[in-house]
Amino acid sequence: MAADAKSDKPEHRGNEEGALWSIMGYLLSGLLIWGGIGWGLDHWLGTHFLLLVGLLLGGGASMYLVWLRFGRE
Amino acid sequence: MRSLQMTGTGGGFVPPSTADFNLPPIFGHNVYTTKPIFLVILSVVLVSVFFIAASRKAAIVPNKLQFAGESIYAFVRNDLARDVIGHEFMRFVPYLFTLFTFILTNNLFGIVPLLQFPAMSHVSFPYVLAIFTFVIFHAVAIRKKGLMPYLKEIMFMPGVPKPVYILLTPIELATFFVVRPLTLSLRLFANMFAGHLLLLVFILGGDHLLKGVIGLKLISPFAFAFGIGLTFFEFMVQCLQAYIFTLLTALYIAGALADEH
Repeated sequence: MAADAKSDKPEHRGNEEGALWSIMGYLLSGLLIWGGIGWGLDHWLGTHFLLLVGLLLGGGASMYLVWLRFGRE
Repeated sequence: MRSLQMTGTGGGFVPPSTADFNLPPIFGHNVYTTKPIFLVILSVVLVSVFFIAASRKAAIVPNKLQFAGESIYAFVRNDLARDVIGHEFMRFVPYLFTLFTFILTNNLFGIVPLLQFPAMSHVSFPYVLAIFTFVIFHAVAIRKKGLMPYLKEIMFMPGVPKPVYILLTPIELATFFVVRPLTLSLRLFANMFAGHLLLLVFILGGDHLLKGVIGLKLISPFAFAFGIGLTFFEFMVQCLQAYIFTLLTALYIAGALADEH
Protein backbone atom coordinates (compact mmCIF):
# COMPACT_ATOMS: atom_id res chain seq x y z
CA MET A 1 0.00 0.00 0.00
CA ALA A 2 2.73 2.36 1.00
CA ALA A 3 4.70 1.35 -2.08
CA ASP A 4 1.76 2.16 -4.35
CA ALA A 5 1.27 5.53 -2.75
CA LYS A 6 4.95 6.23 -3.19
CA SER A 7 4.96 5.40 -6.87
CA ASP A 8 1.94 7.65 -7.49
CA LYS A 9 3.44 10.76 -5.98
CA PRO A 10 6.94 11.59 -4.81
CA GLU A 11 5.66 12.34 -1.32
CA HIS A 12 6.88 10.23 1.59
CA ARG A 13 4.60 7.96 3.56
CA GLY A 14 5.14 9.99 6.73
CA ASN A 15 1.87 11.79 6.18
CA GLU A 16 -0.29 8.72 5.76
CA GLU A 17 1.09 6.69 8.59
CA GLY A 18 1.55 9.73 10.76
CA ALA A 19 -2.15 10.43 10.42
CA LEU A 20 -3.04 7.06 11.95
CA TRP A 21 -0.89 7.63 15.01
CA SER A 22 -1.91 11.27 15.33
CA ILE A 23 -5.56 10.27 15.36
CA MET A 24 -4.91 7.86 18.22
CA GLY A 25 -3.04 10.59 20.07
CA TYR A 26 -5.81 13.13 19.59
CA LEU A 27 -8.54 10.78 20.75
CA LEU A 28 -6.52 9.83 23.81
CA SER A 29 -5.59 13.36 24.79
CA GLY A 30 -9.12 14.62 24.20
CA LEU A 31 -10.45 12.11 26.70
CA LEU A 32 -7.59 12.72 29.11
CA ILE A 33 -7.69 16.51 29.14
CA TRP A 34 -11.44 17.11 29.26
CA GLY A 35 -12.07 14.01 31.33
CA GLY A 36 -9.39 15.25 33.70
CA ILE A 37 -10.92 18.71 33.88
CA GLY A 38 -14.33 17.15 34.56
CA TRP A 39 -12.86 14.93 37.24
CA GLY A 40 -11.10 17.87 38.87
CA LEU A 41 -14.28 19.94 38.86
CA ASP A 42 -16.16 17.00 40.37
CA HIS A 43 -13.65 16.91 43.19
CA TRP A 44 -13.74 20.63 43.67
CA LEU A 45 -17.50 21.08 43.51
CA GLY A 46 -18.46 17.77 45.10
CA THR A 47 -20.57 16.71 42.10
CA HIS A 48 -20.53 13.40 40.26
CA PHE A 49 -21.59 14.05 36.69
CA LEU A 50 -18.89 16.39 35.39
CA LEU A 51 -16.42 13.57 34.73
CA LEU A 52 -18.89 12.03 32.28
CA VAL A 53 -19.62 15.43 30.72
CA GLY A 54 -15.90 16.04 30.36
CA LEU A 55 -15.26 12.66 28.78
CA LEU A 56 -18.07 13.10 26.27
CA LEU A 57 -16.99 16.65 25.50
CA GLY A 58 -13.36 15.57 25.12
CA GLY A 59 -14.26 12.60 22.94
CA GLY A 60 -16.46 14.76 20.73
CA ALA A 61 -13.95 17.58 20.51
CA SER A 62 -11.09 15.26 19.62
CA MET A 63 -13.15 13.63 16.86
CA TYR A 64 -13.98 17.09 15.53
CA LEU A 65 -10.28 17.90 15.65
CA VAL A 66 -9.42 14.71 13.77
CA TRP A 67 -12.00 15.61 11.14
CA LEU A 68 -10.61 19.15 10.86
CA ARG A 69 -7.05 17.95 10.47
CA PHE A 70 -7.50 14.85 8.31
CA GLY A 71 -11.10 14.68 7.10
CA ARG A 72 -11.67 17.84 5.09
CA GLU A 73 -9.78 18.03 1.84
CA MET B 1 15.45 -12.60 39.58
CA ARG B 2 14.40 -14.17 42.83
CA SER B 3 16.11 -17.26 44.17
CA LEU B 4 14.27 -20.42 43.37
CA GLN B 5 14.12 -21.72 46.92
CA MET B 6 11.63 -19.06 47.79
CA THR B 7 9.01 -20.61 45.55
CA GLY B 8 9.77 -24.17 46.53
CA THR B 9 9.67 -24.17 50.32
CA GLY B 10 6.41 -26.05 50.42
CA GLY B 11 4.47 -22.91 51.29
CA GLY B 12 2.05 -21.37 48.85
CA PHE B 13 3.25 -20.21 45.48
CA VAL B 14 4.38 -16.61 45.63
CA PRO B 15 3.35 -15.14 42.30
CA PRO B 16 5.92 -12.87 40.67
CA SER B 17 5.25 -9.20 41.30
CA THR B 18 6.76 -5.79 40.77
CA ALA B 19 9.24 -6.64 43.53
CA ASP B 20 10.93 -9.01 41.07
CA PHE B 21 11.91 -6.01 38.98
CA ASN B 22 13.72 -4.26 41.81
CA LEU B 23 16.96 -6.15 41.69
CA PRO B 24 19.44 -5.67 44.51
CA PRO B 25 22.70 -3.80 43.83
CA ILE B 26 25.53 -6.11 42.82
CA PHE B 27 28.26 -4.21 44.69
CA GLY B 28 27.33 -3.31 48.26
CA HIS B 29 24.65 -0.68 48.53
CA ASN B 30 25.55 1.30 45.47
CA VAL B 31 22.25 1.71 43.60
CA TYR B 32 24.13 2.37 40.36
CA THR B 33 25.38 -1.19 40.22
CA THR B 34 22.11 -2.99 39.58
CA LYS B 35 21.62 -5.48 36.78
CA PRO B 36 19.67 -3.14 34.43
CA ILE B 37 22.52 -0.60 34.56
CA PHE B 38 25.08 -3.25 33.63
CA LEU B 39 22.80 -4.57 30.89
CA VAL B 40 22.46 -1.10 29.40
CA ILE B 41 26.24 -0.64 29.46
CA LEU B 42 26.69 -4.08 27.95
CA SER B 43 24.22 -3.25 25.20
CA VAL B 44 26.14 -0.08 24.31
CA VAL B 45 29.39 -2.04 24.17
CA LEU B 46 27.84 -4.83 22.11
CA VAL B 47 26.18 -2.52 19.61
CA SER B 48 29.36 -0.46 19.21
CA VAL B 49 31.62 -3.47 18.81
CA PHE B 50 29.25 -5.15 16.39
CA PHE B 51 28.85 -2.21 14.07
CA ILE B 52 32.49 -1.16 14.23
CA ALA B 53 33.51 -4.71 13.38
CA ALA B 54 30.91 -4.87 10.64
CA SER B 55 32.01 -1.64 8.99
CA ARG B 56 35.76 -1.69 9.59
CA LYS B 57 36.81 -3.79 6.66
CA ALA B 58 34.06 -2.71 4.36
CA ALA B 59 34.38 -4.46 1.04
CA ILE B 60 32.46 -4.35 -2.20
CA VAL B 61 31.58 -7.99 -1.70
CA PRO B 62 30.56 -8.01 1.95
CA ASN B 63 31.30 -10.83 4.33
CA LYS B 64 28.53 -12.13 6.58
CA LEU B 65 29.19 -9.66 9.39
CA GLN B 66 29.26 -6.67 7.11
CA PHE B 67 26.13 -7.89 5.39
CA ALA B 68 24.26 -8.22 8.69
CA GLY B 69 25.36 -4.78 9.84
CA GLU B 70 24.48 -3.16 6.53
CA SER B 71 21.07 -4.84 6.43
CA ILE B 72 20.11 -3.34 9.78
CA TYR B 73 21.51 0.05 8.80
CA ALA B 74 19.73 -0.04 5.45
CA PHE B 75 16.49 -1.00 7.14
CA VAL B 76 16.60 1.97 9.51
CA ARG B 77 17.85 4.41 6.88
CA ASN B 78 15.52 3.43 4.04
CA ASP B 79 12.39 2.00 5.61
CA LEU B 80 12.26 4.22 8.67
CA ALA B 81 14.12 7.45 8.00
CA ARG B 82 13.84 8.01 4.25
CA ASP B 83 10.32 6.75 3.69
CA VAL B 84 8.92 8.60 6.67
CA ILE B 85 10.85 11.84 6.88
CA GLY B 86 11.49 12.53 3.19
CA HIS B 87 14.37 14.41 1.60
CA GLU B 88 15.90 15.80 4.80
CA PHE B 89 16.16 12.35 6.37
CA MET B 90 19.94 11.96 6.42
CA ARG B 91 20.36 14.34 9.37
CA PHE B 92 18.26 12.09 11.57
CA VAL B 93 19.59 8.70 10.59
CA PRO B 94 22.30 8.62 13.30
CA TYR B 95 19.77 9.26 16.07
CA LEU B 96 17.17 6.86 14.68
CA PHE B 97 19.74 4.17 14.10
CA THR B 98 21.17 4.50 17.61
CA LEU B 99 17.70 4.48 19.06
CA PHE B 100 16.63 1.39 17.15
CA THR B 101 19.69 -0.71 17.85
CA PHE B 102 19.88 0.37 21.50
CA ILE B 103 16.24 -0.44 22.25
CA LEU B 104 16.32 -3.64 20.22
CA THR B 105 19.42 -4.95 21.99
CA ASN B 106 18.09 -4.10 25.42
CA ASN B 107 14.73 -5.65 24.65
CA LEU B 108 16.32 -8.82 23.33
CA PHE B 109 18.28 -9.13 26.57
CA GLY B 110 14.91 -10.07 28.04
CA ILE B 111 15.12 -13.50 26.46
CA VAL B 112 18.87 -14.04 26.18
CA PRO B 113 19.77 -16.86 28.59
CA LEU B 114 21.60 -15.67 31.74
CA LEU B 115 20.94 -12.00 30.99
CA GLN B 116 17.16 -12.40 30.84
CA PHE B 117 16.11 -8.97 31.90
CA PRO B 118 14.78 -6.16 29.69
CA ALA B 119 16.14 -2.90 31.09
CA MET B 120 13.24 -1.09 29.46
CA SER B 121 10.92 -2.69 32.01
CA HIS B 122 12.22 0.02 34.34
CA VAL B 123 10.22 3.03 33.30
CA SER B 124 13.06 5.51 33.75
CA PHE B 125 14.94 4.18 30.70
CA PRO B 126 12.02 4.71 28.29
CA TYR B 127 11.40 8.10 29.93
CA VAL B 128 14.91 9.24 29.08
CA LEU B 129 14.59 8.01 25.50
CA ALA B 130 11.23 9.72 25.14
CA ILE B 131 12.70 12.97 26.49
CA PHE B 132 15.40 12.80 23.80
CA THR B 133 12.77 12.34 21.11
CA PHE B 134 10.60 15.07 22.64
CA VAL B 135 13.42 17.61 22.69
CA ILE B 136 14.56 16.68 19.19
CA PHE B 137 11.23 16.93 17.42
CA HIS B 138 10.32 20.20 19.11
CA ALA B 139 13.77 21.64 18.45
CA VAL B 140 13.54 20.65 14.80
CA ALA B 141 10.16 22.32 14.48
CA ILE B 142 11.21 25.50 16.31
CA ARG B 143 14.32 25.80 14.17
CA LYS B 144 12.37 25.32 10.99
CA LYS B 145 9.33 27.48 11.76
CA GLY B 146 10.31 29.70 14.67
CA LEU B 147 8.90 29.37 18.16
CA MET B 148 5.79 31.53 17.86
CA PRO B 149 4.58 30.30 14.46
CA TYR B 150 5.12 26.74 15.67
CA LEU B 151 3.08 27.23 18.83
CA LYS B 152 0.43 29.02 16.82
CA GLU B 153 0.30 26.12 14.37
CA ILE B 154 -0.17 23.67 17.22
CA MET B 155 -2.70 25.70 19.14
CA PHE B 156 -4.87 27.26 16.48
CA MET B 157 -6.27 25.13 13.73
CA PRO B 158 -7.31 27.42 10.85
CA GLY B 159 -10.92 27.59 9.75
CA VAL B 160 -12.60 27.15 13.10
CA PRO B 161 -14.92 29.63 14.83
CA LYS B 162 -13.05 31.30 17.68
CA PRO B 163 -15.03 29.93 20.67
CA VAL B 164 -14.22 26.38 19.59
CA TYR B 165 -10.56 27.01 20.38
CA ILE B 166 -11.44 26.79 24.07
CA LEU B 167 -12.30 23.17 23.38
CA LEU B 168 -9.57 22.28 20.89
CA THR B 169 -6.47 24.14 22.06
CA PRO B 170 -6.06 22.17 25.31
CA ILE B 171 -6.30 18.93 23.32
CA GLU B 172 -3.68 20.06 20.83
CA LEU B 173 -1.31 21.22 23.57
CA ALA B 174 -1.79 18.00 25.53
CA THR B 175 -1.16 15.92 22.42
CA PHE B 176 2.11 17.59 21.54
CA PHE B 177 3.54 18.16 24.99
CA VAL B 178 2.17 15.38 27.21
CA VAL B 179 0.53 12.53 25.35
CA ARG B 180 3.23 12.04 22.73
CA PRO B 181 6.22 11.55 25.06
CA LEU B 182 4.10 9.76 27.64
CA THR B 183 2.60 7.20 25.28
CA LEU B 184 5.96 6.73 23.60
CA SER B 185 7.67 5.79 26.86
CA LEU B 186 4.80 3.95 28.51
CA ARG B 187 4.15 1.79 25.45
CA LEU B 188 7.71 0.51 25.51
CA PHE B 189 7.82 0.19 29.28
CA ALA B 190 4.48 -1.61 29.62
CA ASN B 191 5.25 -4.09 26.86
CA MET B 192 8.61 -5.03 28.33
CA PHE B 193 7.27 -5.11 31.88
CA ALA B 194 4.26 -7.26 31.05
CA GLY B 195 6.29 -9.58 28.86
CA HIS B 196 8.88 -10.21 31.54
CA LEU B 197 6.19 -10.75 34.16
CA LEU B 198 4.42 -13.21 31.91
CA LEU B 199 7.58 -15.24 31.42
CA LEU B 200 8.20 -15.19 35.19
CA VAL B 201 4.70 -16.48 35.89
CA PHE B 202 5.01 -19.47 33.59
CA ILE B 203 8.59 -20.42 34.29
CA LEU B 204 8.54 -19.90 38.05
CA GLY B 205 5.11 -21.51 38.11
CA GLY B 206 6.44 -24.53 36.23
CA ASP B 207 9.32 -24.73 38.67
CA HIS B 208 6.96 -24.59 41.60
CA LEU B 209 4.73 -27.30 40.16
CA LEU B 210 7.76 -29.50 39.63
CA LYS B 211 8.41 -29.43 43.35
CA GLY B 212 4.82 -30.30 44.21
CA VAL B 213 3.12 -33.70 44.47
CA ILE B 214 3.18 -36.15 41.55
CA GLY B 215 -0.02 -34.83 39.97
CA LEU B 216 1.41 -31.34 39.85
CA LYS B 217 4.72 -32.65 38.48
CA LEU B 218 2.80 -33.95 35.47
CA ILE B 219 1.33 -30.52 34.75
CA SER B 220 4.63 -28.73 35.10
CA PRO B 221 5.93 -29.50 31.55
CA PHE B 222 2.93 -27.71 30.11
CA ALA B 223 3.77 -24.60 32.10
CA PHE B 224 7.35 -24.77 30.84
CA ALA B 225 6.19 -25.40 27.28
CA PHE B 226 3.94 -22.37 27.50
CA GLY B 227 6.85 -20.38 28.88
CA ILE B 228 8.95 -21.36 25.87
CA GLY B 229 6.14 -20.50 23.50
CA LEU B 230 5.77 -17.13 25.16
CA THR B 231 9.50 -16.58 24.80
CA PHE B 232 9.09 -16.70 21.02
CA PHE B 233 6.11 -14.40 21.32
CA GLU B 234 8.23 -12.04 23.41
CA PHE B 235 10.90 -12.05 20.71
CA MET B 236 8.29 -10.71 18.33
CA VAL B 237 7.06 -8.08 20.77
CA GLN B 238 10.60 -6.96 21.55
CA CYS B 239 11.43 -6.39 17.88
CA LEU B 240 8.10 -4.71 17.27
CA GLN B 241 8.44 -2.28 20.16
CA ALA B 242 11.93 -1.23 19.10
CA TYR B 243 10.52 -0.65 15.62
CA ILE B 244 7.50 1.30 16.81
CA PHE B 245 9.52 3.58 19.06
CA THR B 246 11.83 4.44 16.18
CA LEU B 247 8.97 4.77 13.71
CA LEU B 248 7.08 7.17 15.95
CA THR B 249 10.20 9.24 16.53
CA ALA B 250 10.61 9.47 12.75
CA LEU B 251 6.94 10.37 12.34
CA TYR B 252 7.16 13.13 14.94
CA ILE B 253 10.23 14.54 13.23
CA ALA B 254 8.42 14.32 9.89
CA GLY B 255 5.51 16.20 11.43
CA ALA B 256 7.86 18.84 12.76
CA LEU B 257 9.38 19.36 9.31
CA ALA B 258 6.11 19.38 7.40
CA ASP B 259 4.79 22.87 6.69
CA GLU B 260 1.15 22.48 5.89
CA HIS B 261 -2.04 23.57 7.58
